[in-house]
Amino acid sequence: MEGDLRSFRVALVASELVNPEAGGVDALAVIEQEGWGAMQLPAADYPDEVAAPLLDQVAEQTEEFVRHGYTLALVGSREGLEQALERYGLAVPPAIEPDAADQLRAFLAEVAAG
Amino acid sequence: MPGVAFVAHCLLNQNSKTDGGARCPGVYSPLVDELRERGWRIEQMPCPELAFTGLNRFWAVREQYDTTAFRRHCRKIAAAVAGAIEVHVAHGDDVILVGIDGSPSMGVHVTSSDPARGGRPEWPDGAPELSPGSGIFLEELTAELAERGVTAPRAMGVSHQLPTHDPSQERAQLVALMEGGG
Repeated sequence: MEGDLRSFRVALVASELVNPEAGGVDALAVIEQEGWGAMQLPAADYPDEVAAPLLDQVAEQTEEFVRHGYTLALVGSREGLEQALERYGLAVPPAIEPDAADQLRAFLAEVAAG
Repeated sequence: MPGVAFVAHCLLNQNSKTDGGARCPGVYSPLVDELRERGWRIEQMPCPELAFTGLNRFWAVREQYDTTAFRRHCRKIAAAVAGAIEVHVAHGDDVILVGIDGSPSMGVHVTSSDPARGGRPEWPDGAPELSPGSGIFLEELTAELAERGVTAPRAMGVSHQLPTHDPSQERAQLVALMEGGG
């Protein structure tokens, strides 16, 4: 990994926290500041037939990170995620529904510290 | 909302990059910040290479990925992404796509090509592998959208892995794309 700046930390993030409403928690900004990568979950406004294959991709890619020992977290939630992860033999990682940026910051630091 | 930008997975997650390719710990902020400052909704596409050849994959060129199995894998992802694009197009949203130029799968205007590459992975730095064209996933996504009767979005490729990378030019290109050019 010489010259490679990856953090080995990946947060699965609800789409609504990647694209927050005005005044909402800007999870992507915190994730960026804390040096995590983000894997965006399908937006809640997608119909099931659109969201399901996207969730499957999230789970498949999560499996590869788990296999290699990357640290994972879930920020927000997405209906169907738990079942999608289960199909790949994965459990839901440590999770938070953040009410504030500082709360999310502290959570990510705690998960990163193990 | 001005529009929806479908972005390459690694723009939000550099952990998905080939070994040696991560330019920052996680989120590649220059272009992501530009999109968000202008109020664009971000939709991250899956990484075609991550689940197929994994985190320990070698750097590779188009010809090495151009197999029936990889195209089938790309088409499965393309169908998922096209479904989401279709939702936004049906809502009348302006949709753009930001890929990764120089990538064998996510290249938009520049991909990597070397018909002779293969076998033991030893090749000199600076081998002239960059070539005009799209990556394999972009080809499959374009085909999937065409089959659905959906016009392919305006698109650009991030240039951070090209030797000619110019951050200000890259940012200007994204602005032009958002404003209807590209």
